Amino acid sequence: MPAEDHVSPVTKHNADETAAPDRFLSLQALTKRYGDTAAVDAVDLDVRKGEFLAMLGPSGCGKTTTLRMIAGLVPTTAGQIVVDGRDLTNVPPYQRDMGLVFQSYALFPHMSVAANVAFGLEMRGMAKADIRARVAEALQLVRLTGYEDRRPGQLSGGQQQRVALARALVIRPLILLLDEPLSNLDAKLREEMRNEIRDIQRRLGTTALFVTHDQDEALTMADRVVVMNKGRIEQTGTPEDLYERPRTAFVAAFVGRTNRFPGTGAGEVVHVGGVTMRCARPVSGPVEVMIRPHRIHLDGSGERRADDNHASGTIIRTTYAGNVVQYDVQAGDTVFNVEQSTDATGALVSVGTAVTLSWSVANTLVFEAAP
Amino acid sequence: MSAAATAQGPAQSPRGTTFTAATLLVPILLINAIGFMLPVANLAVISVSEIRSSGAMTGGWSIAKWTTVATDPFYWELLANTVRTSLIVTILTLIVSYPIALCLHRMNGAWKSILLVLVISPLLLSSVVRTYGWIAILSDRGLVNSALAALGAQEPFRLMFNLTGVMIGLTEILMPYMILALLAGFGRLDPRVEEAAATLGAPPYRVFWRVVLPLSLPGVALGSLLTFVLAISSFITPKLLGGGRVFLLATEVYDQAIVTLDWPLAATLSIIVLVVFGLALAVYTRILRQIG
Ligand SMILES: Nc1ncnc2c1ncn2[C@@H]1O[C@H](COP(=O)(O)OP(=O)(O)OP(=O)(O)O)[C@@H](O)[C@H]1O
Ligand SMILES: [Mg+2]
Repeated sequence: MPAEDHVSPVTKHNADETAAPDRFLSLQALTKRYGDTAAVDAVDLDVRKGEFLAMLGPSGCGKTTTLRMIAGLVPTTAGQIVVDGRDLTNVPPYQRDMGLVFQSYALFPHMSVAANVAFGLEMRGMAKADIRARVAEALQLVRLTGYEDRRPGQLSGGQQQRVALARALVIRPLILLLDEPLSNLDAKLREEMRNEIRDIQRRLGTTALFVTHDQDEALTMADRVVVMNKGRIEQTGTPEDLYERPRTAFVAAFVGRTNRFPGTGAGEVVHVGGVTMRCARPVSGPVEVMIRPHRIHLDGSGERRADDNHASGTIIRTTYAGNVVQYDVQAGDTVFNVEQSTDATGALVSVGTAVTLSWSVANTLVFEAAP
Repeated sequence: MSAAATAQGPAQSPRGTTFTAATLLVPILLINAIGFMLPVANLAVISVSEIRSSGAMTGGWSIAKWTTVATDPFYWELLANTVRTSLIVTILTLIVSYPIALCLHRMNGAWKSILLVLVISPLLLSSVVRTYGWIAILSDRGLVNSALAALGAQEPFRLMFNLTGVMIGLTEILMPYMILALLAGFGRLDPRVEEAAATLGAPPYRVFWRVVLPLSLPGVALGSLLTFVLAISSFITPKLLGGGRVFLLATEVYDQAIVTLDWPLAATLSIIVLVVFGLALAVYTRILRQIG
């Protein structure tokens, strides 16, 4: 406990939480049950101060429920929510200082943009002049200066999103909670807002929790990503951890595109429908093998090592997508999906061509098959 | 295929839309002309007809009723009394109906339907029956006073044959209309917006004053207009619960037309009621524009 001496006597009994800067927000066995089903099942999670954490998972896995419990909008069934050493589990939402951005924005339709942003400050009893200054500052932050007197109904989706962001940030929340804030925007705007949210969060040093079911969003924006499935955390790690070192088949399949083959482990090798390949760790019995399409080389492309895995097959389908070409290659009983980046001079390999596939052992991910 | 056909069809062109809309309005315009415009015109004619003391019309014209109404303080008081009573009844109805409507709006599933039916079911009974129900409750030997007597009250409270009784009865009878209008006007309420207010630091009562109430104002305005208009034009309840001691425009119209057989005076008073309606509608429109 190196930070022990900074801890005031009052919070001493909670020294564990306050002392550790990597436990600014700490969820401890957080659980929410609806009837018999657990929407969130004993989730443990620590978030560092100033960190941008993404919660990623399929629909219905409990992301929103977790976020709403942190905001105090959903009562917990069991477990604890501790922020900065303070147990907030039973504190009502209006005393939590959380900045929540809703998927539907949830702006006050009867108030102007300025009044929307000022609301949280008014609730805190701040002086009028200070409110005006802080609102102006917040609107400048989200580049909406000049829109003060508009009603939310007179703004575009992206602008409404920025008002919602300003409204949540202006109270200088303990944690900024974002529930799929970009899902109602078109693709181009979404990309723009991604960077904008990220920049603002970095500049202010706000701790942020960002819920999404879009893996691109999670990987590109977050310092760390939490992958959830069926109310539980599957894996927590940096985007690179999740992509390169997925701990479960679910994570491997959910984060990024991948070939997914059933196989049989036999020590250092696995048999997959007529193709035998080596893998990084010894396995036995039924397994699932995953290989990312763009890590498979077609014929001579890419660097080759002696110990690479190989398979021979025939191209049965070619899909041109601009930056990449996707090939479906029949090898034995297995169809490999292979992705090659395009090149102005490169020619497409046509259907029916016999090819050799190669990929490294490190890119051959093997998981125990789900029972 | 069909979408493409309609997209290019004449119904989608601006002129075609206007034409279709106008066609759809024809039935209501006809009903309005026959059921409303014509009788009102007729009333206007009757109000300036000359009558004998027997009530029979002479066929001549006279503005005697209009001058009577304009100069006799009784009628001014009647008007003021009517408007005041209706306003108080409207406010009382609003206060008791608002929490019920809000609660219903927040519910869902089977309970919502059951309670909604319960709220509307009084409309299935004639207000005559319901008013007699109130007589059984409010009279000197009624439910309320018997209960109070059992608790040791010496004198019964006069809850009937006065304005108090009329207001109690009218409030209850108009509640279903108010609740339905409020529910219809609660469309802008959004639980997410209330949650947003809470996370921004607003305790429940401030969420109510700053978010729920302002967003429900269209419903409040609509319900108040409807209730006010119904209160002004109601006459069975004031007649029965007022016991002939409460004078309102609608009861006076009835008395003049049916008892005294002074049709021109009844017609004059009816037109005044109509003018009050028009004013109420104008106020409503203004309020709506302000909160919209
Ligand atoms: N009020 C509720 N009553 C009953 N079950 C609920 C309630 N709210 C959520 N659930 C259930 O809890 C589970 C998790 O829901 P949640 O909204 O947290 O999912 P999510 O991960 O946010 O999904 P999505 O990506 O679709 O938004 C779901 O199975 C859902 O059906
Ligand atoms: Mg969700």
